[in-house]
Amino acid sequence: MSRNKVLRIGLLVVIGVIIARLFCIQILQHDEWSAKAAAQQTLSTVIPAKRGEIYMLDRGEPAAVVMNATVYTVVVDPMMANEEEVAGKLTEILGEKRTAEWSEVFKNKALRYYVVGKNVERGAAEKIAESGLAGVWLQSGTRRVYPEGQLGSTLLGFVNTEGKGQYGVEGAMNEQLAGKDGRLKTVKDVNNVALSIGDDNVKEPAIDGENIVLSIDKNIQYNTEKIIAAKAHELGFANASAIVMDPNSGEILAMADTPGYDPANYGQVESAAAYVNHVVDDPFEPASVCKTFTFAAAADYGLMTPQTTFINNGETFVDGWPIKNAEQGSFLLGSQTMQTAFNYSLNTGSTQALRWLGGDENNINATGRERLYNYYHDRFGLGQETGIELFENTGIVHGPHAEIYGIDSTYANMTFGQNMQVTMLQTAAAFSSVVNGGNFYTPTVVAGKMVNGKFVKNEEKAAARQTVSGGTSGVMREMLYGTRTMWRKNGTDKPGFYIGGKTGTAQVIRDGAYSMDETVATYIGFGGTEGELPQYVIMVRVWEDGKVAGGQAHALPVFNELNKYVMDYLQVRPKAGE
Amino acid sequence: MMRKHKSDRVIGALTVILLGLGLIVIYAIGPMRVNVMNAAYGSDLGENYFFFHQIMNVCLAILVIIAAFKIPYAVVRKFGFALIMAGLVLCGLLALLALVNSSLAKCELGACRWYNLGGLSLQPAEILKLGLVLYLASLMATKKKEGKLGDLKEFWLPFGLVSGLSLLFVVVVQKDLGTGVSIMAIVLAMLFMSGVPMRYFVATLAVVGTVGALSIVVSPHRMERLATFGSEESSDSYHIENAMIAIGAGGFFGVGIGNSVQATGYLPESINDSVFAVMGETFGFMGLMGVVLCFAVLLMRLLRTANYLHDEEQSLVVVGIFAWAAAHVVVNIAAMTGLIPLTGITLPLLSYGGTSMLFTAAALGLALQLSCFTSREPRKEVVAKRTEKVARRRQEMTRRQQI
Repeated sequence: MSRNKVLRIGLLVVIGVIIARLFCIQILQHDEWSAKAAAQQTLSTVIPAKRGEIYMLDRGEPAAVVMNATVYTVVVDPMMANEEEVAGKLTEILGEKRTAEWSEVFKNKALRYYVVGKNVERGAAEKIAESGLAGVWLQSGTRRVYPEGQLGSTLLGFVNTEGKGQYGVEGAMNEQLAGKDGRLKTVKDVNNVALSIGDDNVKEPAIDGENIVLSIDKNIQYNTEKIIAAKAHELGFANASAIVMDPNSGEILAMADTPGYDPANYGQVESAAAYVNHVVDDPFEPASVCKTFTFAAAADYGLMTPQTTFINNGETFVDGWPIKNAEQGSFLLGSQTMQTAFNYSLNTGSTQALRWLGGDENNINATGRERLYNYYHDRFGLGQETGIELFENTGIVHGPHAEIYGIDSTYANMTFGQNMQVTMLQTAAAFSSVVNGGNFYTPTVVAGKMVNGKFVKNEEKAAARQTVSGGTSGVMREMLYGTRTMWRKNGTDKPGFYIGGKTGTAQVIRDGAYSMDETVATYIGFGGTEGELPQYVIMVRVWEDGKVAGGQAHALPVFNELNKYVMDYLQVRPKAGE
Repeated sequence: MMRKHKSDRVIGALTVILLGLGLIVIYAIGPMRVNVMNAAYGSDLGENYFFFHQIMNVCLAILVIIAAFKIPYAVVRKFGFALIMAGLVLCGLLALLALVNSSLAKCELGACRWYNLGGLSLQPAEILKLGLVLYLASLMATKKKEGKLGDLKEFWLPFGLVSGLSLLFVVVVQKDLGTGVSIMAIVLAMLFMSGVPMRYFVATLAVVGTVGALSIVVSPHRMERLATFGSEESSDSYHIENAMIAIGAGGFFGVGIGNSVQATGYLPESINDSVFAVMGETFGFMGLMGVVLCFAVLLMRLLRTANYLHDEEQSLVVVGIFAWAAAHVVVNIAAMTGLIPLTGITLPLLSYGGTSMLFTAAALGLALQLSCFTSREPRKEVVAKRTEKVARRRQEMTRRQQI
């Protein structure tokens, strides 16, 4: 063989190897390499949706209470950055916002990405941009700002560092507020610039979150918070909560807890308990305010009027257990009207109403329990979620045939609001229906939304159900008015106004038994013009761990102060001629 | 000497086709390259910067081919020694300039391989290659005729000195393994075809192998490259990986002209050393088959020309040109397909501009000229015998036959 032929054969062999190799890469492994190409050539970015802002009403006009501000995250590429220069300048500019130690940042240069500052304000970010440091860049993001400070903190909730709403409106309505992030998927060049090459590029625009307008009146909210804080402090209690609502629509006008917290610095609380909205998320035993519901049920069945009498012995026995009255004055013994039982909050009276519900003078029976449960649970919605837009706690109302020890005694206790757990909101919503003519409105904190800067109101909702008849409602208003008037003979409430209410002092279960030295004080009431339907309902709750709080002594004064303010603010007019 | 006839049309046509193909590719990916350059260096090159320059390069290359075709070989051959000296001197001078950090020496990643002549860069190693081909062909043919192909002083000393010095400058001083491989290919192919006894050739191969292995072992840099070839740690793994992504993603038909994404900055040297990979992405398996076959036919035609040239020296010149082009084609494609480590070597006629294209053009022009002097019959290869006596006897025998 000639040497030239050797070379030719050698060349053909090499060409053959190359062709085989190309066949292997381009035909056999094509999918594999295409996947690798797509993996590095695809730019898949999230277009963040703008989180909706939250408004309260200021005399009917929306006013922002939660807004967004642009903040920046400062990132260093340790490979590109000059350690001395960057550390020197950024330490000065970032100050407290610096989140990393420089030695850590520059420890592993291969990382290429190290966050050194978060929530940096525009001014500082501009300084960083102007300094022109190599290997330093800014990523913009948003942060919640609260022009009204702590106003409505437990109602509003906050947004955590991941951008997710927590507690309150932010948590419960996170989906609406957050909107939907958009998506951008495109072929990119090595510098992450999108290219027009390729035909499966995706661009889904972000859908911004809704701007929610709350039914909360900013002024009522502010003053409610102010009043309950000042009064609770004055009376020596750490905690107080209050709700102000429109009984004729279910709209909440104020929902307040004291103490609240600063949502802008939500991390600086002693425990997560500070975030709890006690009006909706903290069921408790509402105590004697519940007599309103028992009496309403009995009256609605036509089994009693305020003048109906019963025999009060100071105590009565159910399942062998005594049910005692708190008020043991001898003038209350013997035949008494139900109005007196309401006035002095006689537990024997409400227990008697339960017996009547069962059509029996002396014993509590299943019919009575069923009827009471029907009113409490099914009609008034106690022990059920009300359907408000917030996170709610259901509470507990035992069924009439619940297999628990002493069901009759449990029901007797339920007539005066013990042995059950409900939220303030459930109580206030039920109470509203009792005084407004018998219409249960689903409570709401949302009045509408802002669309392109315009306030779009939610449609007015009809009553969800009838709880009691209009007549019963009138009777109950009278009983509540009578009670309040009797106790306020000295005339705190001005003539021409129609204000009624009921106290409650609930024992607290500690370690499985009712504590002797800790009670929660409540007061619920309505107000309006005499001869007209009530214009507002207010419920107040005062407590502190290990302290005895009384409805009369501690909740009533808070109510009175708040009532005065609300009546004034809502410009409730006295009855003409008074 | 043979009577002149028409040149090998196939060689000419394929040369022009490949130049045209290169132009199309540069037209398609030039703007992407411009983007990458502008982004990286803040330059302000126009969209078709590379395309326009490549048009000029191609025109220049065609002029060079015509010139190399026209200037008679009898004239050209006289410059063999001068060219090789010029190449060696220029390589030495480049090293000196680099040493004093002169702006005339253009360095990349610590390797100084180019002269910077105001926008134009010149790679002296290319002069060396052309010089080597001409000089070695003349040396081998002369010494063979004199029967001194086995003579240490007369043949092996100048052969070894010239080849060794060239390799020393290119591989050791300029750290240019790619050019080193192509010079090695030229030298070995010519030696093989010169008709040296097989055992001498094998001995040379052994020497080259030993020196090559030693040069790798003593250089940690080269050792590391060899050890990590094919693994993620390799500094070239990114380059090879992205070349293979481009080729693989091309599939059977390719993504089409202007749709190469790998050329938008993922693949380094997209218009130069990696142009084959971009063509793979753009034109697919079909396209690459075409390119590979063009090169294969071109190279086969060069070998055929060498085989039909009865003049020993001319035949060896064409062998040298064949080896030169073949080394570039094979080493470049093998590296792009992950068969061998990267050496940084252009794909003849297709890669963007530079000295390489002009010198390849010159070489092909010369081969084209020589193709005009082929015989109808293939030449008879004569292997030189070890002793002068035998050689002389054979010479006499041939003379007698001719008479």
